[in-house]
Amino acid sequence: MTQGISGLGSTAPVLAAQHVEKVYGGRSNVTRALTDVSFTVEKGEFVGIMGASGSGKSTLLNCVSTIDSVTSGSVLINGADVTRMKSDRLTRFRREQLGFIFQDSNLLDTLTARENIALPLTIARVPAAQTLDRVEQVAQRLNITGVLGKYPYQLSGGQQQRVAAARALVTDPAIIMADEPTGALDSKNARLLLESFETMNQRYQATVLMVTHDSFAASYSNRVLFIRDGRLFTELRRGSTSRREFFDRIMEVVAMMGGEGSDAL
Amino acid sequence: MLCKLAWGNVRRAGHDYLVYLLTLTLAVIVFYAFNTVSIQIDFATMEQGLSELLGGIIRGLTVFLALVMGFLMVYANNFIMKRRKKEFGLYQVLGMSRGQVSRIMALETAIVSGCALVLGIAFGVALSWLMTFFTASLFKAQISGFHFFFSVDAFLWTAGCLVTIFLVTLLFNLRVVRRAKIIDLMHAERQNELIKVRNPWISALLFMAGVVLIGVAYYRLLRDGLPVDAVPEELDTKMLDFWITTLMVTIGTILFFFGLSGFLLKVLQSVRALYWRGLNMVTMRQLSAKVNTVSFSMAVIAMILFLAITSVTGGMSIASAMNSNLERWTPADYCCTLIYYRAPSSGEDSIGRIAADEGETTVSEPVDLFKESANNTIVSTGEPFDLSRIASKHVQTNFYDSTPDDSSEPLISLNDLCLAADLPLPVGMENADSNTMGLMVIKESNYNEYLKFRGMDTVDLGSDGYLLTCDMGSTITGIYDQVMHKGTLLEMGTFQLHPKADQVDIEASAFMISGMGGNSGTIVVPDEVVDACNLPLYVSDLLVDYKKGLPYGEAEQYVQEKREYNDPSTSEGKVYGLWGVENTRLEAYEGANNMNGLVSYLAIYIGFVLVVACAAILSIQQLSGVADSGKNCRILSELGTARREIMHSVLVQQAIFFCAPLVVGIAHSLVALRVVIEIVELFGGLSIGGTVGMTCAIFLLSYGGYFLVAYAMSKGIVRDAISLRHAA
Repeated sequence: MTQGISGLGSTAPVLAAQHVEKVYGGRSNVTRALTDVSFTVEKGEFVGIMGASGSGKSTLLNCVSTIDSVTSGSVLINGADVTRMKSDRLTRFRREQLGFIFQDSNLLDTLTARENIALPLTIARVPAAQTLDRVEQVAQRLNITGVLGKYPYQLSGGQQQRVAAARALVTDPAIIMADEPTGALDSKNARLLLESFETMNQRYQATVLMVTHDSFAASYSNRVLFIRDGRLFTELRRGSTSRREFFDRIMEVVAMMGGEGSDAL
Repeated sequence: MLCKLAWGNVRRAGHDYLVYLLTLTLAVIVFYAFNTVSIQIDFATMEQGLSELLGGIIRGLTVFLALVMGFLMVYANNFIMKRRKKEFGLYQVLGMSRGQVSRIMALETAIVSGCALVLGIAFGVALSWLMTFFTASLFKAQISGFHFFFSVDAFLWTAGCLVTIFLVTLLFNLRVVRRAKIIDLMHAERQNELIKVRNPWISALLFMAGVVLIGVAYYRLLRDGLPVDAVPEELDTKMLDFWITTLMVTIGTILFFFGLSGFLLKVLQSVRALYWRGLNMVTMRQLSAKVNTVSFSMAVIAMILFLAITSVTGGMSIASAMNSNLERWTPADYCCTLIYYRAPSSGEDSIGRIAADEGETTVSEPVDLFKESANNTIVSTGEPFDLSRIASKHVQTNFYDSTPDDSSEPLISLNDLCLAADLPLPVGMENADSNTMGLMVIKESNYNEYLKFRGMDTVDLGSDGYLLTCDMGSTITGIYDQVMHKGTLLEMGTFQLHPKADQVDIEASAFMISGMGGNSGTIVVPDEVVDACNLPLYVSDLLVDYKKGLPYGEAEQYVQEKREYNDPSTSEGKVYGLWGVENTRLEAYEGANNMNGLVSYLAIYIGFVLVVACAAILSIQQLSGVADSGKNCRILSELGTARREIMHSVLVQQAIFFCAPLVVGIAHSLVALRVVIEIVELFGGLSIGGTVGMTCAIFLLSYGGYFLVAYAMSKGIVRDAISLRHAA
């Protein structure tokens, strides 16, 4: 396991989590959700985090993505420690550096797809012409130009997720955080979405951190971190193996961890 | 156990129940305060017709208020139910029977309603206490009969009303719990998130159509005025026209709000740099989604606000116009009148003249009322009513009918004068009866006696002069002013008369004591004109001032003594007329004050209730809307929007929600008031400002207060929504 090294520089990791701990509850009933978790994500990597439900994988994502606070430890994104940032600063940081994709696409239902994708740019006060240009570009990459004028309720689940992906990508963030993005999709739409993640990652060097309990989804990544009972259990690198082989290796680890994930495929 | 659960629920769902509690409390405050006032109105002291009219209005208002209160309760109840359905479903999933769930719900509602009753009565008592002070300071005298006290009747009324509405909403809720399937209860929150999106182009077109309709309706109203003055033959068509105008403005208002969001969206979208900036597009889209679902209630609210503003301004200006003229209308301390019979042989029946019957007679010379009134006896002592006991000075004015005994056409009528002045008949006097009615005539010498009594300079008409007098509002006086200003020549018999002044002296025009003017038009002519034209006696007025040395109350008490009236008769015992109005300055003042107080109370209350009800409905709609959009706020926050910006967006949305109906309501009112003002001017000069301005300011403050409260509560809801960690 590579320990993250803080500091700026071209070789510095995009994300470095160091000894992250998360404890819920008060004095009498303490729940330890994360215990001493450390890992890094390099630029251009597509990293999956796997674990059974309740293993702490979503808590980990929330902690490193600034949505939740850590109890101790630090999270460096592009060298900046987000655990020490104040609320206002954090809001700006989230806007500029991070892209989010959730299980339910979390689109604003009153806005059209185009407006939803443009939202992070308008919030950042990017000029209108430039905003619309960039929305057009990212929509082309994700193959959703045809649905830009539609409202979320007029889109299929897969289209909604790709719109959400486009919204995450449009600001060109340092890292994209995806929480169970295929969780609500059927297998065909799930594959389409994962393929667009792959494209984003390989062709446009987007850095992706994806939480999933689905071995098939995880097999699209370059590297998978396994979490059990709030601790980092092990990690797998895909290397030059095919996706199929990688999937089999993931299944082995899952079986070893306790059979979770057998519901995939 | 169920009690404990219910109590726990109320405390836990405090945020939602707070809205419910506030609404109920408010309804109780207004209802209680109104009832305390209406119960105090002393109908016994009023004239028969007036007391019936006011009694009817107050009964109607009580029912209306009860309906408003019921509407608010149902609205608040739905707000709660929408949020609690899932929980009630959950109880059933856990194995509770429907009966138990119903009991929990009933208990919860009862707890909150009970709190609302206690709080409402407490604040209601405080409010009626404040209102007593407020209105008393507005009017010159303390309004007699209105005192502050805790009204048991009002309390019982309010409690009864609350319980009734409570039971009705409870039945309604029980039906929901009993009928609804568990799956629907569990998914209640989702169901309501259906978004209706209308084509913005259609919306924009509807908006334009609404604006055009409203514009045409404005034009029609300004052109046609109110149909109160229509002559009977035209009444039907005029009423129809008025209803068409009303319908147009109503439909126009509905279309306006129906299309408002689409129109705004289209306009803003056309300015790209503005639309694609910050949360502007979110604000607009949220607004349009919400406006689409509540456009109808916004239209209703705009119309209610319009009614409130118009009734308050109109009612209070009538009251203040009367107040300001009271001094002019009370030329003496005491007055009485005698109406003379007309000869039975004389032409057609004319208005206000009573023909002498068999055994009765007519007189050609005025009778001395000062002496004649001694024929009436005081009931308690049996003594004659002796005015000399209290009078320091007095004057009698005698009026002649301008229709000669041998004719049915008056020599001078209001209609003739309007033609001469080249002016239309005043609004409210256009019907056939009043425009052909003749003016009254008074002799110059008699008028000069009156002027001396008033301490004014006498006039000299020469052999061919005339003067017109009138103490009514500027609408009628204006006609006479114009007639004299133009130097109009009037013909009476063989006489050609010229005006001796170029306007009416309204200060020297009140011949009797009244609360709202008693002289709609009297012409002063040289004595010989009356004699030569053979004009019959119409009425005599006696004005009396009390003795200086005598305490005012004592004199007043003497004239108020109950008396037995004997019809005025000749020495042969033939009756020639009858006693008419008797009035005192004090009565006029008290009457006017009561009238003012009443009109203002009613106007303020109606207005206040309506405004508060509207604001409450808007607030609850806003709060439930914000609570529903919690998820959106969370998404925006996760996308990196500062909370300040989200709140700003919420503020803009709420401001538009509150302002749009208000602006439309005010616009409608301004147009309607232009027409109402014409009517008001019949009663005297109009003064919008002062009390009216103050009242409007208070209304705006309470409306604005609601807006601020709603915004503050929304802030809390948004803060909670954002701080809720996103759970995947």
